[in-house]
Amino acid sequence: MIRVAAVGDIHLGEDMRGHLRPALEKVGEHADILLLAGDLTRHGTVVEAEVVADEFADLPVPVVAVLGNHDHQDDKPLEVTKTLQDKGIHVLEGTTFTHRVNGCSIGIAGVKGFGGGFAGKCGSAFGEREMKAFIQHTCDIAETLEQALSELDTDIKVALTHYAPVPDTLRGEPPEIYPFLGSYLLGEAIDSTGTHLAVHGHAHFGTEQGLTPGGVRVRNVAQPIIRSAYTVYVLEGSS
Amino acid sequence: MSSEQYLAANLRRAVAEDPRTAELGVRVTVRGDHVMLSGDVACAERRAALEEVLHETAPELTIYNDVRVTPAGEPEGEEDLR
Repeated sequence: MIRVAAVGDIHLGEDMRGHLRPALEKVGEHADILLLAGDLTRHGTVVEAEVVADEFADLPVPVVAVLGNHDHQDDKPLEVTKTLQDKGIHVLEGTTFTHRVNGCSIGIAGVKGFGGGFAGKCGSAFGEREMKAFIQHTCDIAETLEQALSELDTDIKVALTHYAPVPDTLRGEPPEIYPFLGSYLLGEAIDSTGTHLAVHGHAHFGTEQGLTPGGVRVRNVAQPIIRSAYTVYVLEGSS
Repeated sequence: MSSEQYLAANLRRAVAEDPRTAELGVRVTVRGDHVMLSGDVACAERRAALEEVLHETAPELTIYNDVRVTPAGEPEGEEDLR
C-alpha cells in the first residue's frame, strides 16, 4: 500500500510564502510521496520558483513535480526546474522517479502535457505553421510520456501531467475550451502502458474524478477542486 | 447585446494577461452595468487585485466579486483506490 498526496495549480508567489507550509509539514502523517501537477508559480519567474522551492524543501516524503503553462510564462522553464531541483524537488519532463515504501514500489512518469482536444473534437497537424507546431508539441510530449511509462517496472505506475488526458475531469469547464485543457494523446499513452493512476491539474472549474477509455482512474488535483493543501489517494500494485 | 460579450471577453483577457492578476481560472460575466467575477484564487490579496484591474479597464461597471479564496489546510481523509 502506498499513500500518494497530490496537488496542482498552487500558483505561489512572494505574497504566498509560507502559505502551504503548516499543512506540508504534516504531509508525512498522510502520505508516502507528494506529487505536484504543475502551475506551481504565477508567472514562471525564478523568484517565484524560489518561493516554491522553499515551500516544499526538506519534507519527510519525496516531492515529484511537473511544470505547467504558468511556469513557462517567463520563458525560463530550465531555470525554474533547476531552482526546484536545487532544493530536492524531482522535476519530471519525459522522465521518471521511483520510490519504495513497505516493500511496494511506485514509479511516476511526468510531462507537462499540452492541448489539442479529445477524440473526434481535436486539432490536426495540418495547415499553418502555427497549427502544425501546436499539435506537434502535444504529439512529441505524448510520445515521451508513453516511453517514460513503458520504462517503469514498478508495482504501481502513475502518470503525472499538468494538462488533462481525458475530458471527464473537465466537466464544469466550457466545452469550447477543452482543446486548450488537454489531449486524448496523453490518455492514449496512459492506456497503452499498464498505468494505475493519472494525476493532472490545469482545469480549475473541472471535477476531480474521471476514467480513461482504457479504464485507468484519472484525478484532477487542481487546488480549487480539491480545496486543501493536497489530497491523498491510497494505491496498491496489481502484482 | 453583443457589446456585452465583447466587453466580457476583453475583461477576461485583462485579468488573465495583466501581471497583477494572471488569473485564467476566473469567470467574468457582464450584465448591463454590472460585472460578476466567480472562481477561486489563492489568497485575499489576489481577490482584491481582480477588482483593481477590472475597475481600471471598465470604471463604469459595478463589480460583484464572488471569487472565493482556496483553502490550504490539511486534507480530511483520503480516497482508497485499492
